[in-house]
Amino acid sequence: MSEGVQASPGVPRGGSRIRDPRDFYGGLALIALGVFALWASRDLPGMHGFAFGPGTAPRMFAIVLIGLGAVIAGMGLITEGAAVERYEIWGPALINLAYIFAVSAQTFTYKMVALALLVLGLILSIIGLMGPKRNLVRGPLFITLSVLIFAVAIRPLGLVIASYCSILAAAAATPEVRWLEAIIWSAVLSAFCVLLFPIALNLPLQLWPTNLSWASLLSFR
Amino acid sequence: MTDLLSNLAMGFGVALSGMNLFLCLIGAIVGTLVGVLPGVGPLATIAMLLPITFGLPPVGALIMLAGIYYGAQYGGSTTSILVNIPGEASSVVTTLDGHQMARQGRAGPALAIAAIGSFFAGCVSTVLVAALGAPLTSVALMFGPAEYFSLMVLGLVFAVVLARGSVIKAVAMVMMGLLMSMVGSDIETGQSRMAFDVPELSDGIGFIVVAMGVFGFAEIMRNLEQESSRSIVHAKLTGLMPTWPDLKASSGAIMRGTMLGSILGILPGGGAVIAAFAAYTFEKKMAKDPSRFGRGAIEGVAAPESANNAASQTSFIPLLTLGIPPNAVMALMVGAMTIHGIVPGPQVMTKQPELFWGMIASMWLGNLMLVIINLPMVGIWVRLLRVPYRLLFPAIIIFCAIGVYSLNNAPFDAVMTALFGIIGYWLVKHDFEPAPMLLGFVLGPLMEENLRRAMLIARGDPSTFVTRPISGGLIALAAFLLVLAVLPMIRHKRDEVFVESEG
Repeated sequence: MSEGVQASPGVPRGGSRIRDPRDFYGGLALIALGVFALWASRDLPGMHGFAFGPGTAPRMFAIVLIGLGAVIAGMGLITEGAAVERYEIWGPALINLAYIFAVSAQTFTYKMVALALLVLGLILSIIGLMGPKRNLVRGPLFITLSVLIFAVAIRPLGLVIASYCSILAAAAATPEVRWLEAIIWSAVLSAFCVLLFPIALNLPLQLWPTNLSWASLLSFR
Repeated sequence: MTDLLSNLAMGFGVALSGMNLFLCLIGAIVGTLVGVLPGVGPLATIAMLLPITFGLPPVGALIMLAGIYYGAQYGGSTTSILVNIPGEASSVVTTLDGHQMARQGRAGPALAIAAIGSFFAGCVSTVLVAALGAPLTSVALMFGPAEYFSLMVLGLVFAVVLARGSVIKAVAMVMMGLLMSMVGSDIETGQSRMAFDVPELSDGIGFIVVAMGVFGFAEIMRNLEQESSRSIVHAKLTGLMPTWPDLKASSGAIMRGTMLGSILGILPGGGAVIAAFAAYTFEKKMAKDPSRFGRGAIEGVAAPESANNAASQTSFIPLLTLGIPPNAVMALMVGAMTIHGIVPGPQVMTKQPELFWGMIASMWLGNLMLVIINLPMVGIWVRLLRVPYRLLFPAIIIFCAIGVYSLNNAPFDAVMTALFGIIGYWLVKHDFEPAPMLLGFVLGPLMEENLRRAMLIARGDPSTFVTRPISGGLIALAAFLLVLAVLPMIRHKRDEVFVESEG
């Protein structure tokens, strides 16, 4: 299962030059984030005389982040650290990104990118589920699916159906799931949600499906 | 003095009104519940309940949310003592001696002393919040944009220095939070920044989305990795009353814990967790016979429990007077105040005195309620521990999803929360602390605004931050602390490197 947690010096891995993988890959990811921020703010005007432009502060902080990321990655090469606890999040992460692309895509190419991400994410997740690390994929995957089901279903299908399916999907995230119990508990919980949110707290939520059509199902927002 | 008394009287008037009293009770109960249940923390709970407080009046909403925070400190001690599992991060230290006492059949006195210590600390810190309000506010009124910026830098540096792990990683987390806070519309020009034409992002990434994702969902993902097994101490809770020697022994510990906790709560980056650890360490050092600690020394329960309660209440001081959140939970409170249209800052005390004094009074009332909730009703809380996690976590997920959706009627927000859950999970796996990121995220817009204004006033001269006296002092303190924190780390890392190359 999961290996040693905190930053106690680990057993030197023979031959590996990356002595602290947590820091190294973490630093790389931070550099990537900084570069992404620089690219995303590339068309924002900078300083205009004395005044900061909209792009000045993001670029400043992005550069600092890149610098820090480089230092952390460098530390990861030099100092000894524990191995990264195993995790498998690529599948669920890609599925999440697929939704975000699908919603924000305006052109056909981006919608195709969304579809590609979704397919890739599903493939990775299924491979993970069949492999030895299945318990590690299960958690993030089913939580992601649960939230996604809720997001897709809440508008066209209403709170009752959306919350029931969502809770049932979430219950699958643990290997300790008992299906009969999960089916009943999901019903109980979604009834509680219906009592709590729209009724007791007066939140404006539709309970049942309204205009059911393919258009509304596929619009995702 | 009479001013203080009349203000307190007004505060009690506000706090004792039916609605606010009821909300205080709800906050206390939910807080205890959240404290008792491992795997659910006050941070995630407050984030979850924030959308629900929309319909409530601002004072009531803040009273309830505050009740959750200090209530969780009470509840956490119950599980620590009885089950040896800390219900809250701040109760980790209580498991050391508390559970040993329970094993020796002294669970009753342990629980009682924890509650008594917490109540005493709660009373003292309530008085502190009342007393320090006015002086701090008048100091804050001398602040201009440069001073505010430097104060926030100091706050972030404190948070970084007191964080658990590596300083550099914490600074990187703060930067990440600051960067993320800039997604959305620029305050001064209205231009869309880094939002990629997504309408849901045009107002920025909601901080509830980040908080629920990184602290709620990520926590659930972590918990799901491990199989849960809890063994509850079945020893009957015979006497709940502590003996006279118990009380005498713990009185000193309670005082010291309260003092330490009060100070650490005010300091940015502090909070209940650090206060509890510091108080335990301090108590052990002060003891005549340190070997008793870890074997059921009652001071080992009294000190951290008082400290974590004191800290959780005094951390409201910087929030209510300066408008600066000293820790992640207070950052959420800033968000709550903003949502209800209250601008956090020194003018809260003058423009909305009923909010300020009402909160103070309700803190004291909340502590009273919590002693009643926790002691006689311990049995009920323990029974709740038997709820299996596999039933609990879907409830958390759906509450979060509905809550986030109801903010803007945007399913997109719910999916963003799941994405941040994955990001938070990744951060923890790579030994990055998420709390500095949340602090940076909440303070980002304020910091940028003050930075820009200060630079504009100083006509583009960055030395204004060090030439203005108050601002310069704050920056110097921040730099000093940073150096202090990094030095031992450099030496330590050097040792690691040298050991490795010699070995």
